[in-house]
Amino acid sequence: MHWGAHTVHLGKCNPLPVAPPYDPQSDSSVSLLPHLEAKIRQTHSLARLLTKYAEQLLEEYVRHQGDPFGLPGFSPPRLPVAGLSAPAPTHAGLPVRERLRLDAAALDALPGLLDAVRRHQAELNPSAPRLLRRLEDAARQARALGAAVDTVLAALGALGARGPGPEPAAAAAATVTNTAAGIFSAKVLGLRVCGLYGEWVSRTEGDLGQLVPGGLA
Amino acid sequence: MMDVCLWWRQPSRMVDNRRTKMSPNFRWLLSVLTLLHLIMQINSQKRGVLRDLKCTTNNLQVWDCAWKAPLGASHGTVNEVCIEDRFHSCHRLEKTNIKIPALSPGDHEVTINYLHGFESSPSKFILNEKNVSLIPDPPEILNLSADFPTSTLHLKWNDKGSAFPPHSDAVWEIKVLRKPSMELVKLMSFNTTLSGKDIVHHWNWTSDLPLECATHYVGIRRYIDCHHFSGRKEWSDWSLLKNISWTPNSETKAFPQDKVILVGSNITFCCVSQTKVLSGQIGKTFCPLIHLHGESVAIHIQNISVSENSGTNVVFTTEDNVYGTVVFAGYPPDVPQKLNCETHDLKEIICSWNPGKPTGLVGPRNTNYTLFESFSGKYVIFERFETLTNESYQLLFQMLPNQEIHNFTLTGRNPLGQAESTILVNITERVSPRTPTSLKVKDINSTVVTLSWHLPGNFAKINLLCQIEIYKDNSKQELRNVAIKGVEDSSYIVAVDKLNPYTIYTFRIRCSTETFWKWSKWSNEKQHLTVEAIPSKAPDTWREWSSDGKNLIIFWKPLPISEANGKILSYNVSCSSHEETQSLSEILDPQHKAEIQLDKNDYIISVVAKNSVGSSPPSKIASMEIPNDDLKVEQAVGTGKRILLTWHHDPNMTCDYVIKWCNSSRSEPCLMDWKKVPSNSTETVIESDQFQPGVRYNFFLYGCRNQGYQLLRSIIGYIEELAPIVAPNFTVEDTSADSILVKWEDIPVEELRGFLRGYLFYFQKGERDMPKMRSLESGHSDIKIKNITDISQKTLRIADLQGKTSYHLVLRAYTDGGLGPEKSMFVVTKENSVGLIIAILIPVAVAVMVGVVTSVLCYRKREWIKETFYPDIPNPENCKALQFQKSICEGSNALKTLEMNPCTPNNVEVLESRSIVPKIEDTEIISPVAECPEESEADPENHVVVSYCPPIIEEELANPAADEAGGTSQVVYIDIQSMYQPQAKPEEEADIEPVVVAAVAGYKPQMRLPINSAVEETAAEDDTDKTAGYRPQVNVNTWNLVSPDSPRSTDSNSEVVSFGSPCSINSRQFLIPPKDEDSPKSSGGGWSFTNFFQNKPND
Repeated sequence: MHWGAHTVHLGKCNPLPVAPPYDPQSDSSVSLLPHLEAKIRQTHSLARLLTKYAEQLLEEYVRHQGDPFGLPGFSPPRLPVAGLSAPAPTHAGLPVRERLRLDAAALDALPGLLDAVRRHQAELNPSAPRLLRRLEDAARQARALGAAVDTVLAALGALGARGPGPEPAAAAAATVTNTAAGIFSAKVLGLRVCGLYGEWVSRTEGDLGQLVPGGLA
Repeated sequence: MMDVCLWWRQPSRMVDNRRTKMSPNFRWLLSVLTLLHLIMQINSQKRGVLRDLKCTTNNLQVWDCAWKAPLGASHGTVNEVCIEDRFHSCHRLEKTNIKIPALSPGDHEVTINYLHGFESSPSKFILNEKNVSLIPDPPEILNLSADFPTSTLHLKWNDKGSAFPPHSDAVWEIKVLRKPSMELVKLMSFNTTLSGKDIVHHWNWTSDLPLECATHYVGIRRYIDCHHFSGRKEWSDWSLLKNISWTPNSETKAFPQDKVILVGSNITFCCVSQTKVLSGQIGKTFCPLIHLHGESVAIHIQNISVSENSGTNVVFTTEDNVYGTVVFAGYPPDVPQKLNCETHDLKEIICSWNPGKPTGLVGPRNTNYTLFESFSGKYVIFERFETLTNESYQLLFQMLPNQEIHNFTLTGRNPLGQAESTILVNITERVSPRTPTSLKVKDINSTVVTLSWHLPGNFAKINLLCQIEIYKDNSKQELRNVAIKGVEDSSYIVAVDKLNPYTIYTFRIRCSTETFWKWSKWSNEKQHLTVEAIPSKAPDTWREWSSDGKNLIIFWKPLPISEANGKILSYNVSCSSHEETQSLSEILDPQHKAEIQLDKNDYIISVVAKNSVGSSPPSKIASMEIPNDDLKVEQAVGTGKRILLTWHHDPNMTCDYVIKWCNSSRSEPCLMDWKKVPSNSTETVIESDQFQPGVRYNFFLYGCRNQGYQLLRSIIGYIEELAPIVAPNFTVEDTSADSILVKWEDIPVEELRGFLRGYLFYFQKGERDMPKMRSLESGHSDIKIKNITDISQKTLRIADLQGKTSYHLVLRAYTDGGLGPEKSMFVVTKENSVGLIIAILIPVAVAVMVGVVTSVLCYRKREWIKETFYPDIPNPENCKALQFQKSICEGSNALKTLEMNPCTPNNVEVLESRSIVPKIEDTEIISPVAECPEESEADPENHVVVSYCPPIIEEELANPAADEAGGTSQVVYIDIQSMYQPQAKPEEEADIEPVVVAAVAGYKPQMRLPINSAVEETAAEDDTDKTAGYRPQVNVNTWNLVSPDSPRSTDSNSEVVSFGSPCSINSRQFLIPPKDEDSPKSSGGGWSFTNFFQNKPND
């Protein structure tokens, strides 16, 4: 009974062909489904929580960068971040598993970038412990969320099909802490990283929401 | 020759002239000479003479002389130059210049002769070093580099000093030009001294505009001042310009990047852009753009303020992007303050300081401190990103063996500068030991313990000074210093003596060095109880004989802890006489008394206290009490909780004095406490926490004589007197009409609370329900006070009182502590009977006498009275009733008054006879009153009508039936007044029985009718009633009640019936109306003065 309901839900939300682990004919997958559903719910809840934390992180970050950061008319350029791209506009049109793969890849790159931002901010704002703690937490939470999404992907049987991995975290972090580019650029890049963190976490929440029974929570 | 010299010398002269102020004459002369010179030039050219021989040198070794060829000479013309020098050399050459070695000082003749057909004469010049100009070669810039982050140019060049004599002065001039306008942004010069060798020089310059913002060019020239060269010295040409330009990369376009500057300075930021820059701002403040070149712009910031931690953002916004940089405005490090170096253990030195004023810079820009020790050359670095606020910084410096003197220099550096402090210390004098630990206490005996503790540190070469704090309960702390030889990381032990046995002590310790610098912190406290010792003193003993005199009660005080030296377990009491010593059983603590049955022999009682270690010395006291016949009781008052007792010295008292005291209300033998004082004392202060104010105590002073005690003085006293808490209970013993005898009782001692000083007695008139006697002390005039200071007096007679008067009596007692409460009583004095009798008799006698006199007078003068007030025939002229004005009667028949004419005499008709015959005869007078036929018709039988002028007035009986029932003769008067008087309502009148106006026949007095309105008349009548003896009879009601047969007017306009004439003296009624309406009702039966004037019917 439970299996049947779950199968119907997945078939309704996921436009992709049903992956082998979800094959209702497969006996081995029957025992995984309740666990998978719980895992998806858990991961979705985590993503939702991190979305809220990401907003707080962004506010805290902007608050410590000085004017004109945070002023209404100030819109710094959306600098490209090595190893981490912004969610593409076409992201929503991709299959769920593909989206989750992109989410996982971004979440995999984010901790290194957030760590680099934290180190830079530790030099720039050593007297802002809350900002530094939020950055540290964000890196750890992004890592945890990425691992959780990986688990979901693995349960979906799509982990192996994960797209090209991000650049090594060290290389990405080096971009952030490149002092030759100037502190202002580092501030802007940190802002960008914090923004991307929020975007990807939010995107992950949305993508997972489509897998949660009942649709988008 | 003269021309040449003149030419050589002329410019310099001209220069000199330019340099000096020329007078007008001199100018004129100069103009003439110039003109002459020009003429000569022209002539010489015409003649083919050489011109403009000029010699220069760039190294003082070779002179380069050049001249201008004469006119007509072609290129390649050979000429010969001969120089009269040491060798008199001649040179053939085809050019117009020649380089010759520097000539020796002095004039040298130079001859230039053109050969081969050129027809000219040889030209001769006098050449001197003074005519040679020293023009050095332009300097060569070896290198020009830029430090873009600091906007600094570094210039490097070679002075080529080897070409000139050593010690020659060189002046360098450097210019910096900036594109695009090649404006000169910097020109500066400086001097050097040439050393005879080629030296490379450096020059740095920091641009106010970031070097990235524009290309900068640098050129240099020089001026060599060779002291041995007497010729002219000139600047060299400028060197070739070298430039510095920035190669833009893709990222950075705003400059300078991340610069640290001093707060308050000015700075220019630029943005190198290919697109149009829309705005430039610092923080949230937008600044005007300064165009540089192309699309590049700059903004200039003046007096920049301190930045926040993350710096101040400078942002340029272009059409498609945003470029920015960050500037950090702060301060250079402040001089480190309160630099102090000390050691805890002589192993490492701790230097601490206060950073002083904050720099505003954090992170990598924060101040780094370096602590450098100059003797050892060692240093340590303090580096921290955060800026500590209100916190001292410190660095640890590892000590070197055997180095005591240290010279520390602390240098703080940040990008804006540095500051330093120094301190020279002998570290052995800067020891602040760590806190001693592991403090232990060990007993040696009852008064000595040892303390041991551990103190880490390398103190082997110094002595320590430690301080032991000894604290004992209820006593002041004691500090003892002890010097100890220091050791290496070891424990220390000292003995502490002079302690008390069986006492709890609290120890703690701290240490320093002999060369005191600082104490360590106190160690933890250690509490210790010393061991016991035998009691050091005998108990304080006293004895009292029991009330029956058979037993002796021994009292002793427990030994204080300082004398008990342990826990007292028991007491031994013994009794000895000359014959024997009797020891009683052991009395356990805490019992502190024993009762012994003794005979009257003299005994010595001994008390010994015992603890676990031993017994105290015995305390002895004699049982004998020496009598004293001369004993007086005295009084004393103390202060606070103490009382001072004094006595005279008695040489017979050989041992001591004992003062014992007790509460006076306690039964004998009473003993609260006692105190022993030496025999040489004459006073003592008794103090006890048990003393309470307002309580009477008995104090007894005993003197010790030959081992026997004699009571010397007995004192009653108070620590503090209070006011009595009760009022004296008093009663009234006797009361008379003018005095009261009061008696009161004593107040009990417990309630008196002080020595009685007297009574205050207050009295005043007052009833019981009156408010209490208030403000007794305020001195009300009606309150009388008697102060009774004789406290033995127990009665008081209050005299001069009024009889039968209530008096309020109040009695209060007082002490020095104040007035006690009051007790009050109300007493009424007795009545004075004689006075009362007199008061009654006198008015009665006076009244009787007045009555008798009046009666006699009235009797004797009755005729006169009658004539005066009640004449038999009234005078009509005096009758106001007959004086109505005509106008009043006009218009109404009802208002017709009596008209004297043509009235016919009245008829008197007797309708009925009674046993009591009315005295109609008296009223049978002839009156000119017309007969009223209507009236007769109305009731012809029952009426006796006496009418004056009734024709126009109808009189009828209101109630004929009543008349019939009455059956009495009635005299009906015609109502005259009723025409004017508004009366009661008709309904009411109907209920009223017809009244008889006059129960007797006779003349009815005529009513006087005033002309005023009825209301006014009523008022007037009232007044008249009060003033006139004669009264018109107006009170109708009065009359109505007299007789039910009274006639009644039925005239509708006349509602009130009025009877009688005021002029008549025959009225049977009392002429003066009664005060109230009830009086007439009782007039028939009551006694009245009117009876005196009322005629008897038979008269």
